[in-house]
Amino acid sequence: MASHLDSNVIPPSRQREVPRQGMTWIGQSIKRVEDPRILSGKGGYIDDITVPGMAHAAMVRSPHAHARIVSIDTSKAKDLPGVIGVYTGEDLATVVDPCPSFASPPVPQHAMSIGKVRHVGEVVAAVVAEDRYIAEDAADLIEVEWDVLPANVDIEASLEATGDAVIHPDDRESNSALDQTFAFGPVEQHFAEADHVIKRRLRWNRSSAQAIETCGVVADYDAFKGGYTIHANTNFYNFIPFVIGGSLRVSPGELRIIPVLAGGSFGSKVFIHKIIILTAGLARLAGVPVKYIEDRMEHFMNSDSHGSDRLYDAELAVMEDGTFRSLRFTVLDDYGAYLQFGVGTHGNAMAQVTGPYQIESVGMRVIAVLTNKCQQGPYRGFGSEVTNWVIERMVDATAEELGRDGVELREQNMVQPDQFPYMIPTGNIYDSGNFQEVLAQAKGLIDYDAWKARAAEMRTEGRCVGVGLATCMERSVYGPTEWWSLNDKEAPGFTLTSTPEGISARIDPSGKMFVTLNSPMVGNSPETVVTQILAERLTVAPEDVVINYADSQTGFNGVGPQGSRFTAMIAGACVSASIKLEERLLRFAAHMLQRRPDDLELRNGAVGVKGLKDQEKSFGEIALTSSFFRLSFPDTEEFDSGLETTAVYDHPISSDPHPDREHLGIFYPIVGHICHIVAVEVDPGTGKVDILDYAAVHDNGTIVNPRTLGGQVWGGTANGIGSTLFEQFIYDDEGQFTNPNFAEFAMPTANEMPRNFKLGHVETPSPFTEYGIKGGGEGGRLGAPSALTTAIEDALKTYGVKINSLPVTPPTLRGLIRERELAITAE
Amino acid sequence: MKPAKFEYSRPDDLPTVLALLADQEDARILAGGQSLVPMMNFRIAQPAALIDINRVPGLDYIRMEGDVIAIGALARHADIQRSPVIQSNIPIMTEAYDWVAHSAVRNRGTLCGNLCHADPASEMPALMQLLEAQMVVASHTGQREVPAADFFTGTYETALEPDEMLTEVRIAKPAAGTGWRFEEVSMRKGDFAWAACAAMLRLEAGQIAMPRVAVAGVGDAPMRLDAVEAILTGQAPSEDLFQTAAQTGADAIDPPETPAASAAYRKDLVRTLLPRVLSTAAERAE
Amino acid sequence: MDKIEVSLTVNGRTRAALVSPRMLLSDFIRHELALPGTHVGCEHGVCGSCNVLVDGKAVRSCLMFAVQTDGAQITTIEGFGDGDLDPIQTAFWEEHGLQCGFCTPGMLASAKELLDHNPDPSDEEIREAISGNLCRCTGYEYIINAIRSAAAKLRAADPAAA
Repeated sequence: MASHLDSNVIPPSRQREVPRQGMTWIGQSIKRVEDPRILSGKGGYIDDITVPGMAHAAMVRSPHAHARIVSIDTSKAKDLPGVIGVYTGEDLATVVDPCPSFASPPVPQHAMSIGKVRHVGEVVAAVVAEDRYIAEDAADLIEVEWDVLPANVDIEASLEATGDAVIHPDDRESNSALDQTFAFGPVEQHFAEADHVIKRRLRWNRSSAQAIETCGVVADYDAFKGGYTIHANTNFYNFIPFVIGGSLRVSPGELRIIPVLAGGSFGSKVFIHKIIILTAGLARLAGVPVKYIEDRMEHFMNSDSHGSDRLYDAELAVMEDGTFRSLRFTVLDDYGAYLQFGVGTHGNAMAQVTGPYQIESVGMRVIAVLTNKCQQGPYRGFGSEVTNWVIERMVDATAEELGRDGVELREQNMVQPDQFPYMIPTGNIYDSGNFQEVLAQAKGLIDYDAWKARAAEMRTEGRCVGVGLATCMERSVYGPTEWWSLNDKEAPGFTLTSTPEGISARIDPSGKMFVTLNSPMVGNSPETVVTQILAERLTVAPEDVVINYADSQTGFNGVGPQGSRFTAMIAGACVSASIKLEERLLRFAAHMLQRRPDDLELRNGAVGVKGLKDQEKSFGEIALTSSFFRLSFPDTEEFDSGLETTAVYDHPISSDPHPDREHLGIFYPIVGHICHIVAVEVDPGTGKVDILDYAAVHDNGTIVNPRTLGGQVWGGTANGIGSTLFEQFIYDDEGQFTNPNFAEFAMPTANEMPRNFKLGHVETPSPFTEYGIKGGGEGGRLGAPSALTTAIEDALKTYGVKINSLPVTPPTLRGLIRERELAITAE
Repeated sequence: MKPAKFEYSRPDDLPTVLALLADQEDARILAGGQSLVPMMNFRIAQPAALIDINRVPGLDYIRMEGDVIAIGALARHADIQRSPVIQSNIPIMTEAYDWVAHSAVRNRGTLCGNLCHADPASEMPALMQLLEAQMVVASHTGQREVPAADFFTGTYETALEPDEMLTEVRIAKPAAGTGWRFEEVSMRKGDFAWAACAAMLRLEAGQIAMPRVAVAGVGDAPMRLDAVEAILTGQAPSEDLFQTAAQTGADAIDPPETPAASAAYRKDLVRTLLPRVLSTAAERAE
Repeated sequence: MDKIEVSLTVNGRTRAALVSPRMLLSDFIRHELALPGTHVGCEHGVCGSCNVLVDGKAVRSCLMFAVQTDGAQITTIEGFGDGDLDPIQTAFWEEHGLQCGFCTPGMLASAKELLDHNPDPSDEEIREAISGNLCRCTGYEYIINAIRSAAAKLRAADPAAA
């Protein structure tokens, strides 16, 4: 291990529940607890919330990418019957302060523009009216006079912008928001020693999650009732009230955020504080509760959740025998007009930047570029989907230049099973894994060798058939240093180091176990996994577990589902709560059974005497007695009534970044591994890609519920297929967003998905999390793009097509083929 | 995304529809609404009045009248797609319907409404050109027939006057032995075409007779490719002939350049699809 | 324009209301009839979340005006099970045919229409039937499994229909 990592010591494991075979509930594909109410139409999404006296907001959006607001005439809108109020950015600023920013230095952003707009779709005025129809009528009557400024669209050109084209001239002289260089290990030396340096320029274009439900808020302000009551479909409701409260000029005690079931997030609902602040401010100004649900165009244009948009100049230093030595790159990332979380997506990618390979050092220069587009937010992968693709592209490029088989080259450089926990040059660790077994299983599932032979034979018949294989990492359970570790060391920003997850649990006198979560459901399966884990640990029957969600005032620590953290984190909280509850159960039962606690055990929802089948008290009996018959127990504090507890679980294993950023510490260490293999046929005349066969094997440690994990893998793979073949936000030269709708932003339908999807799992437990669970919410999108890209190149081998940019939509791919056709003809 | 206000009427008979159409400023017919209502939701379209024809009885027919298939103003895509009359007499129409939107849209959407919307990337307008359909256009003053070739005048533009309504489409049954094929390339199945090619032809003594070729998605309006038809006429089908036809077809069009798909790409598609549709049509010809 | 009176049957119950002509059927169902199970995802007729059955046919409720449904029979997700989950809903539960559940009401409407007319659909027919319903969570595979399973359940319950 390189010396720059000497200071990065792996702390001892705090795992309490060791992984084991044959568990009762963990590992079962039980039907989801969440589903019956959702299937009957009673899910309770944000637009289902109705508050007495509620009015509705509609927005006036900027038609320009970059413009000064000369004047706004709201008089006609105000006169429209049914309109309660019309407000501009200046009006809103009388009750709210700018949005929170985790960037350092911050890029100022208002929930409603003041003076200037910086991307198409930015809100410049709002109407609050009796219904949405009237609100939209009034919004159409608002007249805005603009002074149009030069738009920055191209990622490289934006860095050269001067004068009026500078997007935040009061804060920054250029459109470069951050430019930092890092060397993790002796990068220069390794490149100097290398026999080959493989270079590629790689482009990953912008898209976003586009959950089928947009973001929305219902906000009410009542100074006499204690401030704001806000319903919102955020992932993040127990973690950010204090920053939202800052913008709303209230203490968290005057801010109650109530979660709702969110209709999909994939990261896109993590940062929705802007519309929370906007809607809350409107409610305060209008003096009525206000509902604002983004329409689909608004969600495309203004939801602050666009995904990565990067240009890499990457180099891999390789020895003659194919050994990888070092990886370095310069990356420009088009973050749009604001920078709400700094370059957190690059911090994230540093968790697994070397992929499953042994690479001794990593060098990076990251430049955050501001342009006149909606700003970035999280999208399934949070930046690591791009680096996964980059490293796999570099491996394929190396195989080609060295004349090696790509799979063999991967196997040669892979981390070996006896090397875990394995520390990569950035300081993050891979806790456990068996990459070779995953690869073997994937090859077996799809009969890789037979497919390779068949594809080669089909190519000799003139068909463009190819096979692609990718071996990728799936980091899970994020640590928050990823947000700021790449910031300027002199101005690190908000150096947050906690990402706790909490739970409260109570066994009531009926024997039911009431559990309260502090994170919302966004399409994951929080109630199901909590039910399974508590059933496992406490031996309760799953049907006796009842789950609810706290709001931001009744709840406590919770960060929510993001970064594939929730299952592993809530498992920790469940175990902590179970330990505390078990102690109380045993104490009360010991008294009731006249035994010592040590003689007792939990079994089938009861506390029984070890070795004596008929001597036991059910949880219900214990709870009933402990709740209602206080005088049956000693008059000491430890017998205070009731069976309830709260528990908080902190990150399983993390450490601080090195002060000089020689490394970034351990921050994303619960790491899964995936192998995707796909066979495709390309129609060279149209550029259409037909997926013939698909296998995915994921190692997510101990699996809680195979079927729900399968759903995550499948869904993530669908997102990855979309990111590879179909989905791209296209801005024209003026910064107009040309396809902000579901007809033109082409997310896969059932018709576009592979017919022969084969799913497999390897279970290499984590030594650090309870039961060895790892996260698994992002893997599909972390693997599919690489495998598909390789497969398409393989299919087009005879043309010599190289794919250096995603997505490869049919027109794009046909363009690449056309170039090669012309070149071949010219030869 | 809510529509702006409009006057609404729901007449029970066609004369009233046509009278209202003549009387009201900026009135639009509401049939299936599958093109109009999205545009109203975006407020791209803000008609002052909608005349809902869904309660007018007797407009939803799909029937043979001698050698002509007549399709009424309220015949829905889904019913036409499944119609035995269409399947047995105009099989290319059934085939093309496989590319038209998705089932819930086809359940409501009408052929006539689709044609009046005149999206140049839509399948049915091109098919009507191929089939040389007659468009029966009515107003309060009377009725006229417009050949499909004259009906589609531009992007979202037709030969309809503001007081006119497309009440019926009349399609002559293709001659026995006609071979046919419809193919399309779009981003996803069901999306509007980047390019669609349709062909019908007959073989007489081994030579192509009466070839018809139409394309969508590659111009301001769907169109017939006369130059391609001229090349094919009287020739024996062959791969070389179809390749020549393909190049001629690609040269004959001036496709739009859009952010998602270049003009060069659309030409490539025509070059790729034409030989495919022609060879299948030739195989199917008797 | 003045509101217009409509009377229709929704989930077996007669409902009468005064509606503005421009009121979308989706908004009418959700906010006037207080049946929030029908979801609005795009309001431009692509995502299919708002699909409901109008006179037995799956339609986009964001592309119809409420006023057009005077006299119609409408079934929404709330009307599927009569107090319990019906066989299609049950199959979605058993086969993990939903994650966030937002597209589910529209999926169920499309599935119900398919199975009403085709008791033993092929997988390709199922795909085609739901191809106008976008789901961002599942990748569709488990939805297809669910509809296949529902078809089998329905056939088993009513062999005559198959």
